[in-house]
Amino acid sequence: MATTTASLTITSADLVGDALSLSSTKELHKAGTTVGLDQTTGMARVYLTATTQLDIFPVLPAAPAGQNLQSWVYICNKSLDETEFITVSIAATDIGLLYAGDFMWFPWSQIAQKADIEITPSSGAAAAGIHVDYTCMHQGITYPTSGD
Amino acid sequence: MATINATISVSSDITGYGTQINNSMTMTKAGTVAGLEQATGLVRKTLTSLNEVDLLVVGAGVVEDVTATKAAKLYIKNVNSDSSEFFTVGLGKSSGTSTKQAFAVSGDANRCVELGRLYSGDWMIIPWVAASDEHDVFVKPSVATTMVIEYMVFFE
Repeated sequence: MATTTASLTITSADLVGDALSLSSTKELHKAGTTVGLDQTTGMARVYLTATTQLDIFPVLPAAPAGQNLQSWVYICNKSLDETEFITVSIAATDIGLLYAGDFMWFPWSQIAQKADIEITPSSGAAAAGIHVDYTCMHQGITYPTSGD
Repeated sequence: MATINATISVSSDITGYGTQINNSMTMTKAGTVAGLEQATGLVRKTLTSLNEVDLLVVGAGVVEDVTATKAAKLYIKNVNSDSSEFFTVGLGKSSGTSTKQAFAVSGDANRCVELGRLYSGDWMIIPWVAASDEHDVFVKPSVATTMVIEYMVFFE
């Protein structure tokens, strides 16, 4: 059984009157168990030069292998220009904007036909070209078949 | 201007090559290097039903100043200890009450989208775009017994 541990620390010395420090660590498990996740897509890096919306994790079929299983998605905008961003969406609903250096980490349900994860570079990012990293750690995912 | 840093670390032996993610970000206002300077504080909420409950309503409450053109980061954690229980986290049109529409297909007037499930101890951090009521953030407990969730928003 694999062991995957995810930790987050948020700190600020000057956001509020007292120093803020928030830390959380969790082993990633299969849905409803204490058994560790055992699959990953690996870390991808893409270089985008258009404002086209792309599926980094595609539209899922009516009965995707991963539905109701546990998956975690990491996405990072590797730009160094603070004006360049990507919009991250799920099933055409925007989640939020990742500016230069921003990352996100969230569970992904892989709901049938309503869970594709998309990224869209801003016009400035596309014009300059932008690198984006992403990966998924999971217990099951649907890949396109040779007939797709 | 405040400085808020978030650091993520993920280590795994899923593959024989090992996987490491180590990254830090400073939370900034949209398109600038100026730091975010507002926050909700860490909210702790106890839920005791299977109803979908809004954590964030676009344009309302403590996050009423957050708009589509302003940056915001959302942290959520399931602080329960039962590994079989979870919160489903989603984005969707809010009725402004504690009861929401069920998950629906794209194009539905009451559309909402399921992001994923937070099991015991799980946490997430995402950017949040407060563009319309399709971007309200809600959770749905998997059981009607007491479940506790914590969340915090950092915003412009």
